[in-house]
Amino acid sequence: MKISFSKVSLPTEGALVVSVLEGRKPSATARQLDEQTDGLISRAMAASRFEGKKDQTLLLVAPAGLQAQRLLLVGLGKPEEIDALAAEKLGGTVVAQLQAAGDEVVTVAVDAIDGCPLAPVHMAAHIGFGARLRSYRFDKYRTKEKAEEKPSVAKLALMLEEHSAAKRRFAALDNIAEGVFLTRNLVSEPANVIYPESLAEQVKMLADSGIDVEILGEKQMRKLGMGALLGVGQGSERESQLVVMRWMGAEDENAAPIAFVGKGVTFDSGGISIKPAANMEDMKWDMGGSAVVIGLMKALALRNAKVNAVGVVGLVENMPSGTAQRPGDVVTSMSGQTIEVINTDAEGRLVLADALWYTQDRFKPQAMIDLATLTGAIIISLGDRYAGLFANDDDLADRLTAAGKEVDELLWRMPLDDPYDKLIKSDIADMKNTGGREGGSITAAMFLKRFVKDTKWAHLDIAGVTWAKKDGPVTPKGATAFGVRLLDRLVAEYYEQK
Amino acid sequence: MLTIRFVPPADDGLASEALAVGVAPGGELLPAARAADAGGLVTRALAGRHRFDGDEDDVLPVLTASGWLVLVGMGAAEERDARRLRRIGGNLFAELADSGIICLDLRLDLAPESAAELAYGMCLRAWRPAARYRSKPDPDEEWSLVEAVLATADPAAAQVRFDQLAAVAVASAWARDLVVAPANELNPDSFCRRLDSLADLGVRVEQVDPRQTGLNLLQAVGQGSAVAPRLALLRWQGGRPDEPPVVFVGKGITFDTGGIDIKPREDMEEMKGDMAGAAAAAGAIHALAARRAPINAVGVLAIAENMPSGRAARPGDVVKSYAGITVEIVDTDAEGRLALADALAFAAATLRPALMVDLATLTGAVEVSLGRHRAGLFTADDALAKALFSAGEAEDEPVWRLPLTDAYDEALESAAADLRNCTWEHSPDALNAARFLQHFVPHEVPWAHLDIAGVSEAEEDGPLAAEGPTGFGIRLLVHLVEDRRAG
Repeated sequence: MKISFSKVSLPTEGALVVSVLEGRKPSATARQLDEQTDGLISRAMAASRFEGKKDQTLLLVAPAGLQAQRLLLVGLGKPEEIDALAAEKLGGTVVAQLQAAGDEVVTVAVDAIDGCPLAPVHMAAHIGFGARLRSYRFDKYRTKEKAEEKPSVAKLALMLEEHSAAKRRFAALDNIAEGVFLTRNLVSEPANVIYPESLAEQVKMLADSGIDVEILGEKQMRKLGMGALLGVGQGSERESQLVVMRWMGAEDENAAPIAFVGKGVTFDSGGISIKPAANMEDMKWDMGGSAVVIGLMKALALRNAKVNAVGVVGLVENMPSGTAQRPGDVVTSMSGQTIEVINTDAEGRLVLADALWYTQDRFKPQAMIDLATLTGAIIISLGDRYAGLFANDDDLADRLTAAGKEVDELLWRMPLDDPYDKLIKSDIADMKNTGGREGGSITAAMFLKRFVKDTKWAHLDIAGVTWAKKDGPVTPKGATAFGVRLLDRLVAEYYEQK
Repeated sequence: MLTIRFVPPADDGLASEALAVGVAPGGELLPAARAADAGGLVTRALAGRHRFDGDEDDVLPVLTASGWLVLVGMGAAEERDARRLRRIGGNLFAELADSGIICLDLRLDLAPESAAELAYGMCLRAWRPAARYRSKPDPDEEWSLVEAVLATADPAAAQVRFDQLAAVAVASAWARDLVVAPANELNPDSFCRRLDSLADLGVRVEQVDPRQTGLNLLQAVGQGSAVAPRLALLRWQGGRPDEPPVVFVGKGITFDTGGIDIKPREDMEEMKGDMAGAAAAAGAIHALAARRAPINAVGVLAIAENMPSGRAARPGDVVKSYAGITVEIVDTDAEGRLALADALAFAAATLRPALMVDLATLTGAVEVSLGRHRAGLFTADDALAKALFSAGEAEDEPVWRLPLTDAYDEALESAAADLRNCTWEHSPDALNAARFLQHFVPHEVPWAHLDIAGVSEAEEDGPLAAEGPTGFGIRLLVHLVEDRRAG
């Protein structure tokens, strides 16, 4: 979908989108159209339940007196409540409504609105961003899709006076969308296509964006003593990989970086502690944390972020086989700490244990944030709207929570107190890799905490938010890329040189 | 209960069969320990590498020519706050309860307030189920320790403080007795009779018949049982007559089979404890009344037995609640939220509450979420959330706030009624339960919901409660009320 910005001029084809405020108050363009059409819009509103409330829409086909084939009225709600998020949702709604209607060209009139804190330039840019995010589709494996089932909109034009300023603003946001789309693509790919080595190959392509990429294979990891990560991958034919991405965008190249660490289990069968068959196909997205880190690094590079950032992803496939690790095995992590593997399906924390240790050891980051589809318990705890946030630093936790609210990727802080630590005591090793069903996300986080020294650290358990079962305003069902926008915002607000 | 006495430090009139003295980390002897070290005994004991280093859970009994000398780890001086002192007392009791020592003479060099807190910890820990549940008590398991005598500079001041604290310890023991009582002993009838005893403390005890009052959800939960459900009101009027009360609402399912949606048999016996929220609410009223607290407080207990039978509520039944909201019961085992919904709505409508806190062993999901260390806290009121959080930390009854959100409202949408009581879809049930309850509380009433399913019973011994019922919530609520008075 092409998104463009242009001067105000009523379209001669396709769909025209105009906005109405709560209380059936038309925007400037809507008022102008209403006059031009002898009260078409007023009549339409009077004949329907459309009142201009937020998220309301009214689609008029073949609007009398207009050249456009369709007129979509969208509700903006109250002017004072219109913010960037509302504009993004609006963009998403417009795309979702018109994709299925058949229009190829959609023109959105962006008007200045009294009492609205968001200037038209920003409103237009964020409508475009929302539309872009919502237009995502993973259809490369559909070979026989009928034309009428494919999305129709090829061009979205936003009309406003200051169109060039809006275009520039949008371009910056579109870089983030590129990162989001990369993440969604990687998450959506099946596990016969994306496995540790092929995912590492994908990361290599980020070199084009100025990211330094380094790949460690099993031999190098063995040398480093990464017994925890390697144990998870040893059942698979595919070689485990640790991929390091570096974006050095700060003026001072020696400035301590911010580090992002991702769990990348390209397929998680559970290993010898194999999962039940139902829904096991979902486990192709058990590399969601790594995909977020990869997409985020791309977004930072594309928008030339003035920050030093490091991304580290631990890529493994967890398979049962004659070489797989067994429940009861004891492995030695890079930190030297030993782990009794009680359940081979609690593998993500084993991968992260070594990835976290490696990251803080090598890069001495000023802050370290990991993302992982780590526990089923977090889904029972917080559902699919909130990711679990665990942190050893209150400021970092507050920053993350605030950034999440701003981009509508919500976090909820969970406890990380010592009393939970005793649940992962092992009878024969330093710790065991599960603490049981109760407080399952907390004990997983306590496990990770044992691999973090003094570094400011946060862990995001994204198991509930990585894959959407239904469409959201700016996220079609499927891979959400939850975390890319949030962490991009975090970097922009707190870690970038202004 | 353990007998506690406070005496001045110079009192040598005690026949000390057992003397307890304090040691700080690094083996530093507190003054009384130094005095007892006359023959170098304490120093020798400490030199023996017993891994006793004066931390708060260290207790080392040494047999001397004149009896027991018990070295008590007191932790670092600057960390000896009320919470630590209670833990030290609790641990000490647990270590010595069946040691053969009958009376313990404690010379721990504590200020009066501190001595009272330590004694309080001992009393909290000194509870276990009544011996009458066994026909032949095992003599080896009988507790020998029946008296603790604490030396402190101002025994009278210590006694005053201790009396306040002991009121809570007594109430906790009373509530734990209720929770541990088997369901053939404690049903809605007998539960109400046990509540009548609160009248002796000046509490006005009333019962409301759900059927005659329109508490139809509570009625539906209890209708399968041979014993009718009840709403019990416990009114403590310690404040001005016109002062709006704080209200504690408790879930009191005396046994929860699940009803027609019957539970799996494994561990079902634990469901005798599904009235722990009501026991805690009643326990808090018990404590406040015993303290003669100058406030108004009301306990509202939704009491029912959830049984399958020919007249039990069926999945799919639609019931009109006290608040007028209709509810489709899709799962008869999500009964706590039904009983509480009516209790909350009734309390809000009839009691003009200044504040409502409900306690309930409500969901298994909260155990998955927070385990057995913290209770789930749900409230829309940030100030109340903060107050409950800090009270929980201070009282060793920790809570953690979880989202009270409209994000999952779809889970409660019914095709047949205003609401359904839960969903079979994957959905965060502890959050859904809290959100369900919120529909029955008027916006203007400050309200918090505590899901105590993970913490009402301990699976292992802790410093202030042995394995079994904890009485979780009583100390928290009393602390909350005290903070409100002070603030």
